[in-house]
Amino acid sequence: MNIELTAQQKALQLEVREYMKTIMTPELLEEMKDPELKEGGGPEFRKQYARMGADGWIGLSWSKELGGKELSHIEQYIFTDEVVRSGFAYPFLTTEAVTPVIAANANPEVREEVVGGVRQGKVTIAIGYSEPNAGTDLASLTTRAERDGDDWIINGQKMWTSLGNFADYVWLAARTDPDVSKKHKGLTMFLVPTGIEGFSLTPVHTLGVRTNATYYSDIRLPDKYRVGEVNGGWKLITGQLNIERLSLFTHGQVDSLYQEVCEWAARTDAPGGGKIIEMPWVQHNLARVKTGLEVVKLICWKQAWSMDQGPLNMADASVAKVYSSEFFVELYRMLLEVMGQAGTIARYSPGAVLQGKIEFRWRVGAVLTFGGGTNEVQRDIIAMAGLWMPRTR
Amino acid sequence: MDFTISEEVNSAQQLAQQILADFTDVDKLKALEQQEERFDKALWRALGEAGLLGLDIPEEHGGTGLGFYSLTTLCEEAGRTVAPIPVVPVLVSAAGTLRRFGSGAQKEHWLGGIASGTTLVTAALEEYLNDDPGAPSCSAQKMDGGYSLSGTKICVCLAPSAARILVSAKAGDELIVALVDPRAAGVSLNAQVVTTGETRHELVMDKVQVPTADIVATGREAAAAMEWALLATRTALAAMAVGVCDKMMRITGSYTSEREQFGRAIATFQAVSHRVADCYIDVECLRLVTQQAASLIDQGRPAGEAVTMAKIWCGDVTHRVSQASQHCHGGTGVDRDYPLFRYCELARQIELTAGSSARLTGELGGEICAQHLAKAG
Ligand SMILES: Cc1cc2nc3c(=O)[nH]c(=O)nc-3n(C[C@H](O)[C@H](O)[C@H](O)COP(=O)(O)OP(=O)(O)OC[C@H]3O[C@@H](n4cnc5c(N)ncnc54)[C@H](O)[C@@H]3O)c2cc1C
Repeated sequence: MNIELTAQQKALQLEVREYMKTIMTPELLEEMKDPELKEGGGPEFRKQYARMGADGWIGLSWSKELGGKELSHIEQYIFTDEVVRSGFAYPFLTTEAVTPVIAANANPEVREEVVGGVRQGKVTIAIGYSEPNAGTDLASLTTRAERDGDDWIINGQKMWTSLGNFADYVWLAARTDPDVSKKHKGLTMFLVPTGIEGFSLTPVHTLGVRTNATYYSDIRLPDKYRVGEVNGGWKLITGQLNIERLSLFTHGQVDSLYQEVCEWAARTDAPGGGKIIEMPWVQHNLARVKTGLEVVKLICWKQAWSMDQGPLNMADASVAKVYSSEFFVELYRMLLEVMGQAGTIARYSPGAVLQGKIEFRWRVGAVLTFGGGTNEVQRDIIAMAGLWMPRTR
Repeated sequence: MDFTISEEVNSAQQLAQQILADFTDVDKLKALEQQEERFDKALWRALGEAGLLGLDIPEEHGGTGLGFYSLTTLCEEAGRTVAPIPVVPVLVSAAGTLRRFGSGAQKEHWLGGIASGTTLVTAALEEYLNDDPGAPSCSAQKMDGGYSLSGTKICVCLAPSAARILVSAKAGDELIVALVDPRAAGVSLNAQVVTTGETRHELVMDKVQVPTADIVATGREAAAAMEWALLATRTALAAMAVGVCDKMMRITGSYTSEREQFGRAIATFQAVSHRVADCYIDVECLRLVTQQAASLIDQGRPAGEAVTMAKIWCGDVTHRVSQASQHCHGGTGVDRDYPLFRYCELARQIELTAGSSARLTGELGGEICAQHLAKAG
């Protein structure tokens, strides 16, 4: 039992931190002021993403065969933590969640095209699971793919297809067996090139970021873009969802907010004299944030360490998701309270505290508790897998 | 970074689990609760014979020397079984301090008996409205051959049967740590019934003469000793709370899976199962911060902040899990013929011992402020 980073792990942490400073160029920061480009997709983003590929930073967790470095989960976590902390819109779902699944299951030609492209930092992939009527109950999705000779004809609509406006492919879940009794067993995964005829989208503007509704109208897709077995899609989806969470809730991104607010409160004068940080209620909030953050750190480390020992325990994975998502939201609030009214001044407006970063994080954070597997379902899993309680109904 | 728990520590914990389970069935606990002194001497002896009282006592003094981390796993198991034994005051606060700060002669004299279970040395770290043994209001006067101590300590465990009570006092500006004989002239022990229902004692000292042989440390050494004792005690209480809360939550998970209303197990209502799932999350969080604090102390690394955070979590989680467990049980939970009430009482006792969440949150906030003001220059 020694819950501290080794010298080697600290060195990696520092190396990534320093490297990411060179990625966050002034040009990129300028480009990210455009809300449409905040999540990536602009020319400067593309340039830096490709640079990360050229410098060998993409796919560190992949097998050597795929050109990866087979980093341990702990090292992979350290990398992820630092990249998220830097603020770069690194497409984790593309590199960590979807690409390994594609590598293991795709046709060789498509595999070369997609995996090779991702490794070079040239390809991004959007996730096309959710639909207007299929959210938490994802397996009820109705987008259809029907076989026609060597092709598939795809029809339907996806909702919340984030990054779809600049991604090269959509990783699409479609129904290939209309028999309703085969809910989970009638789904197949496809890669849909976004340039293909019949693909279109409209923007969806949210409280936080921009996302998309995507439409699939008589798309004729060659069978080589099918990934995995026909009707074998559910396994590929669920495997991927677990990995998704690991990059959503990392410690560095919120720890740095806490540190910045502490520093701000220590240099900012309070109205009645002294500094903001000297007020008891400010100290209370900061102490509460620190105490909760410590567990975010420990949960992340424990998860990464456990994954190096063997498969992740189901209840533990759900504990991490529920705790972190609910604490993140609480943390944003407690830090905003410290700033008071000034905390509401938006990014790029005069007087914004810490560039309005936390106000923005609160906006984006509203999705954390239901996204990535809603917390109600996670609590169901904890009760069943952790405490052997019966299924709720 | 390595969360592995060593083979030896694991097997000691399992052995403790077995012995404690054998001694803590409901009838035994009930019988012990009727005694004037709530202390299971037979269990204590059995743990001593198994080498479990000396987990953090070096081999040359009759212990097994597995270290502080291992001792916290015994505390966890004692919590899980609500065993009426003084693991924290005797093994952590008193023996742990003696082994690290006592003189060679004191270690020689006391540790062997503590490890075997034949001698009790307890500790009295708290005073009215003061849980910092580094800043006691008890006073000491240097005199020929030792010190004379006056002042009051509260809620002392097993004071009447202890051979000595470890206390701190201020001799002017200087802190001293001493072993007080509860039979010495000038000592009065006044019974105090606490939340768990057990009788503890107010220790009032009126010019009690403590010979030099019983002075554990003075000055800086004494300050370091009391700092260690406080951090170790808080961590051990958090570990005990892990056991208490884990068990309360499991009792609740089982009960709600069996109890039916409206024709179905109440656990199949999401509102019920989610409340228990929240306990599970809380217990995992508490476990992680406690393990971190315990392993830092075990390795002799700076542990102050980690311990403060662990005790804050301890206070919050004991309260929440206890309340949720009571709530999900309905009336059965409060019935004294059902085991849950013992856990709830112990949870509250632990919560309010050695620093509450509110107080420690205030303290941590003050430290954050000081650190950042210093950095800002
Ligand atoms: C900004 C944003 C980006 C997104 N990006 C993507 C993306 O790139 N790709 C993609 O595929 N999807 C994406 N999503 C969709 C996201 O995964 C869904 O929002 C999520 O799965 C929840 O589905 P829903 O919104 O339909 O809510 P619903 O499923 O309708 O849930 C509404 C409420 O009902 C509760 N509820 C549902 N089922 C249960 C139950 N069994 N027990 C108790 N309560 C229940 C939920 O907890 C929630 O509180 C994105 C969403 C947002 C907002």
